[in-house]
Amino acid sequence: MELFALYGLNFIYGIATLGLIVLGLAVVFGLLGVMNMAHGEFVMLGAYSVLIVQGQGLPYFLSFPLAVLICGFVGYLVEWSMIRHLYTRPFDTLLATWGIAILIRKTVEVIFGRGYQSVNQTVTGTVDILGVDYPAYRLVVFVCAVTLLVGLFIWYRRSNTGARIKAMIANPELAQAMGINTARLARGTFVFGVCMAGLAGALIAPLVRVEPYMGLDYLLSSFFILVVGGLGTLEGLFIGSSVIGGVDVAVSAFFDKTSGYLAVLVISILFLWLRPEGLYARR
Amino acid sequence: MNVPELLSAQKISGGYGDTIIVRGISMSLAGGDVLCVTGRNGVGKSTLLKLIAGVLQQSDGVIKLAGTELRGPAFVRQRQGLGYMPQVGVVFDNLSVQENLTLQYKGRSLKRYEALFASFPRMAERLTQKAGTLSGGEKKILSFCRVIAETNKLAILDEPSEGVQPENIALMAEHILAEKKNGRSFIVAEQNTTLIEQIHDHVLIMDHGEVMYEFSCDKNIREIINKHISL
Repeated sequence: MELFALYGLNFIYGIATLGLIVLGLAVVFGLLGVMNMAHGEFVMLGAYSVLIVQGQGLPYFLSFPLAVLICGFVGYLVEWSMIRHLYTRPFDTLLATWGIAILIRKTVEVIFGRGYQSVNQTVTGTVDILGVDYPAYRLVVFVCAVTLLVGLFIWYRRSNTGARIKAMIANPELAQAMGINTARLARGTFVFGVCMAGLAGALIAPLVRVEPYMGLDYLLSSFFILVVGGLGTLEGLFIGSSVIGGVDVAVSAFFDKTSGYLAVLVISILFLWLRPEGLYARR
Repeated sequence: MNVPELLSAQKISGGYGDTIIVRGISMSLAGGDVLCVTGRNGVGKSTLLKLIAGVLQQSDGVIKLAGTELRGPAFVRQRQGLGYMPQVGVVFDNLSVQENLTLQYKGRSLKRYEALFASFPRMAERLTQKAGTLSGGEKKILSFCRVIAETNKLAILDEPSEGVQPENIALMAEHILAEKKNGRSFIVAEQNTTLIEQIHDHVLIMDHGEVMYEFSCDKNIREIINKHISL
C-alpha cells in the first residue's frame, strides 16, 4: 500500500515538474513556431540564478525575480537580434537557437566552471501523506507547478492578450489590420516563454544537479512531450507530460532508468512516425 | 461643395516581392466619398487595396491620409485612421464571434456594435460560437461589422458582398451610406454592380494593374462597367 502511494506521488510529481519545464517551450515552439534549441539553457540560467542568490547569502525566493530578470534580458536580446527575422523560417530558428545554446553554455562555463554545483534546499524535512514520508520541497514544487500551469491555462483562455496571441498566430495579416502590433506581441510572447523556462529552472534547482550542460536533458524531454501532446494547446501539454512522464516513471520503477528513457524514445519515434500532429493538436 | 481631400495616392506601384502588379495608380478621395474599384478577377484590385492598407508596401509612389504620409506596416496605418477588411481570411476561425469583434479593444465592450447587431441579428445570436463555424457570407458580415464599428476616417473593403445574401448586401449598403453621411470615406473593391450603384461616388475600372476607366456619379454605370469589362 505504502509502496503504491509512493509510486503514485512520484508519478504525479514527475508529471507536474515535466509540465513546468516544458511550459516555456510550449509557448515558444507551440505557439510561435520557434524551435528553441536553447530552451534547456534558459532552464539552466534559472537554476544558476539560485546559485547566485545563495552565493550572496540572500533568501532563496529572491532567485525567482532574478531568474526572470536574467532570462528576460537574454531572451529579449536573442529575439531582437535574431528570432524576429526568422518567424517565417522555422528551420533557421533551429540553427540559430542551437548557436545561442552553445553561447549560453560556454558563457556559464567560463563564469562558474564546468563542475557540478550544489544548491541548498531551503525547505527541508518530510511531510506525511498517505502514510508516506514525502520530501516537503517536492510538494512545494508540485504546488507551484500546478498553480502556474492552471493559472496560465485560464489566463490564456479568458484574457484579451490570449485572444490576440491566438489571432496573431492564426492570421497575422488580419491581426495587423486590426491595429495589433504583431512584432511586439511576438516578442513579448517569446520573452514570456523563456522567462517561464527560467522560473522552472529556479524551482527545480535544489532537486537536480546544476551544471552548464544540464539543459540538454530538459530540451529533449520537452520536445518529446510536445511531439506526443501536440502543439499550440495547454491540453496537449498536460497530455504529453502525462504520457512521457508516466511512461518514464512507470518503466523506470519496474525496470531501471535506462529502460525508462528507452521507452520514452520509442514512444516519441512512434508518434513522429504515425501521428506527427500529436494527441491534442491545435484546431 | 468643397470638401477637403482625405486620401491622395500618387503613382503608386507595388506587388508581391519583385512581381509588380499595380502600376502607377493615382487617386484622390474627399471626406464622405465612396470610391468603388471594379474589374475582372486578377486585375490587381486586391493588391491596390493592400498597398493602401499597408499589408503590402508600395515600391513606388506616395500615399497620404489627411495630409500625413501613410508609411509602415498595417497596424501603424490602422492607428492613423484606416480600416481594412481583407478579401480572404476575413475572420479568425479559431476565435469566437465575440472575440473577433472585441479583441482589439481594451474594455471588450460590444456597445459599439448595437446598430450593426440590429441589422444583422445573426451576429448577436452567435457571439459565443467559433467564427470558423459561420458560412462564408456570415464571415464577411462579421468582418464588415468589425470595420464599420471602428472610428476610422477611411474604410477599405475588399469584396464585402462576396457570398452574402442580397438582403444583407442591401443592409451593408445602408450602413455604408449612413457612415458616409458622418463623413467617413470608403474604398470598396466590388464586382456586384447593384451594390456599386447604391453606394458609389466614383468608380475606377482596373485592368492589368492599371486604371482603365474612371468616372463619377453616372446614371448608366451598369452599361459603362459592362462595356469596359467585357472588352
